[in-house]
Amino acid sequence: MKASLLTTTTAAMFALSFAAGAANAASKWDGADDLPTSPLACDASGAAAPAAAKPYDGGQPTNAPDKSGKEITVVDVPKLIGIGYFNATSKGMQDAAKELGNVKVTTDGPTEAKIDEQIKFIDNYITRGVDGVMFAANDPVAIAPVLKKALSKGIHVVGYDANSTPDAREWFVNQAEFNGIGKSMVDSMAKEIGEDGSFAIVTSTFTTPNQARWIAEMQAYAEKCHPKMTWLETVEAQEDNNLSFNQATTLINKYGDKLKGLFGMTSVATPASAEAVTKAGQCGKIAVVGLATPNAMKPYLKTDCVKSVVLWNPIDLGYAATYVLRAVADGKLKPGAASVDAGKLGKLNVVNGSEILLGPPFIYTKENIDKFDF
Amino acid sequence: MSLAIETKTFRVPRWLKRHETLLAIILLIALVGLGLLNDRFLTLDNLLNQGRLMTEIGLIALPMTFVIITGGIDLSVGAIVGLCAIMLGYSWKTFGFPLPLAIVFSLFVGALAGFINGLVITRVKVPPLIMTIATLALYRGLAEGISQAHSVRGYPEWFYFLGQGDVFGVPTQLLLLLVLIVIAGIVLDRTTFGRALYAIGANETAARFSALSVDRVKLIVYTLSGFASGLAAWVLVSRVTTTRMDMGIGYELDVIAAVVLGGTSIFGGSGTIWGTVIGLVMIQLLKNGLALTGVKGDATIVVIGIALILSVLIASSLQRRRD
Repeated sequence: MKASLLTTTTAAMFALSFAAGAANAASKWDGADDLPTSPLACDASGAAAPAAAKPYDGGQPTNAPDKSGKEITVVDVPKLIGIGYFNATSKGMQDAAKELGNVKVTTDGPTEAKIDEQIKFIDNYITRGVDGVMFAANDPVAIAPVLKKALSKGIHVVGYDANSTPDAREWFVNQAEFNGIGKSMVDSMAKEIGEDGSFAIVTSTFTTPNQARWIAEMQAYAEKCHPKMTWLETVEAQEDNNLSFNQATTLINKYGDKLKGLFGMTSVATPASAEAVTKAGQCGKIAVVGLATPNAMKPYLKTDCVKSVVLWNPIDLGYAATYVLRAVADGKLKPGAASVDAGKLGKLNVVNGSEILLGPPFIYTKENIDKFDF
Repeated sequence: MSLAIETKTFRVPRWLKRHETLLAIILLIALVGLGLLNDRFLTLDNLLNQGRLMTEIGLIALPMTFVIITGGIDLSVGAIVGLCAIMLGYSWKTFGFPLPLAIVFSLFVGALAGFINGLVITRVKVPPLIMTIATLALYRGLAEGISQAHSVRGYPEWFYFLGQGDVFGVPTQLLLLLVLIVIAGIVLDRTTFGRALYAIGANETAARFSALSVDRVKLIVYTLSGFASGLAAWVLVSRVTTTRMDMGIGYELDVIAAVVLGGTSIFGGSGTIWGTVIGLVMIQLLKNGLALTGVKGDATIVVIGIALILSVLIASSLQRRRD
């Protein structure tokens, strides 16, 4: 009896997954956009399909003094100070400065993420005279004039976390590309639920640009590297905690045993999905993988309800930005370069003309999450 | 007997006792002190740049001085800046107005927003504090609703002249501020309108019985306050090249701090434009000087707070001595 039920279920599942697979091939996933995708290679190398190299589109400082090998003073102006995330980037910068020995980094900025305050801070540091500015922009356009002013005074400018218009800075350290996030999400899920598992997605709305891009990349990557996985449904939950919880609960009830995994596409949807799985008593049976900040996910990692949280490592981000600035001041990183040496992170690749890719996203697990506080 | 003669000989001249004079002396001392600590502070380049950065607050501080002299307050100015910035960007980009018309339209919206404040305050007799707290939320909400938190960018090059350009080496918007300072000073000091402001602030009932059109005067000052906020929004958008709904958040506190530091009594009836200008310059240069000397952002706010408390203490002790 039991065995026959199992076979029936398995057969049904196969049939379903086949049907869904066929549907997949024909239509895009709900919530994915129509833009072209570029799935990464299936193996750990994660090499991107060779894209047409974009020429360097950053700005250059005028008459920057030659500081090669000499000590430089650098100011870091994040979106705001006093929050865990930017405390982490700032820690990474201090780590890098200590390793390099010839960089002095100060972090200073507004206590609220206000663009005009941020501009004033950068302006004051230009007057005070620094060799380099690192920034995470509150607004990509509004920050451009003051950054251009810095360049015009021979100050090196490197962005991280949040970009400005390209011509207002020399380089931008990009924490994660869409296809990188897509690969990490799908790989983590495949590891937890197996190559033939079925999953559903909780996203903000089908038209939110970042989420739509990620889902499109996840689809492309899943088709290429995990073709047997079954996508059941994508649901919208705004960025609302309650709605995310309800939507996840509905999915759990609707699909029952078929549902093996849930993707959370926002920092709200992921903890809410984990909460829904916990409340439904499905921990260990339904995996939750998603984008989220460590602090929100700590409780669920502690109870083993969630095994992997995908994001980048802000400490590494600050660390890389500092190495990039040093390389620029040393004249080692010039327009047209293909990679830059970033200490313990190894060689980082140049993408999109004047951006430096931090590397594959960081997976937070039970073992490493306590090192982060944001 | 001899004691009386002594006090007479050492009596401090009256002008020296004025709050503005004292403040100007403190400002000079602070300038020299900070200048000695940092050689990049007292440069023409830096001072002109600070003039550029303080213009938006300064533009609003002028009518705010009027408002506070009448015994009122306008907390909605920051929200009006946000609303006007959004109206400028949206009327140009979404409604398709030509940019000059969009600027005029946004100034009109600012004046209208101030007019509505004034109308409710004078007609419904809602206390200004409550009315403008309400419109602070209302105008910011409108800015958010209209823009859907999207920003407007890509203005033509000529539009940036006001916010980023120079005339004979002086930032364009600073010239605008200087002209308006002179006009506001003359209006307050030399016109019946100016004297009516003091009369209303000193004793509103007495002013009414003296046949002053109290409501009309109040309506005008709140409208001016809204209009100046619109002007500040124009300067700000031109300076930072983009329109965002969160522009001007917290401006009301910076503006009121400058006015009150400049010796205008929060209870109304006294205050000068010159005091406000000194207060404005003092806060801006203190912030800048401290930043250049290596004091971090959070510590700077503490110093500004202490400066404010000290100035109020000095003002009240002067007041007591006069009484």
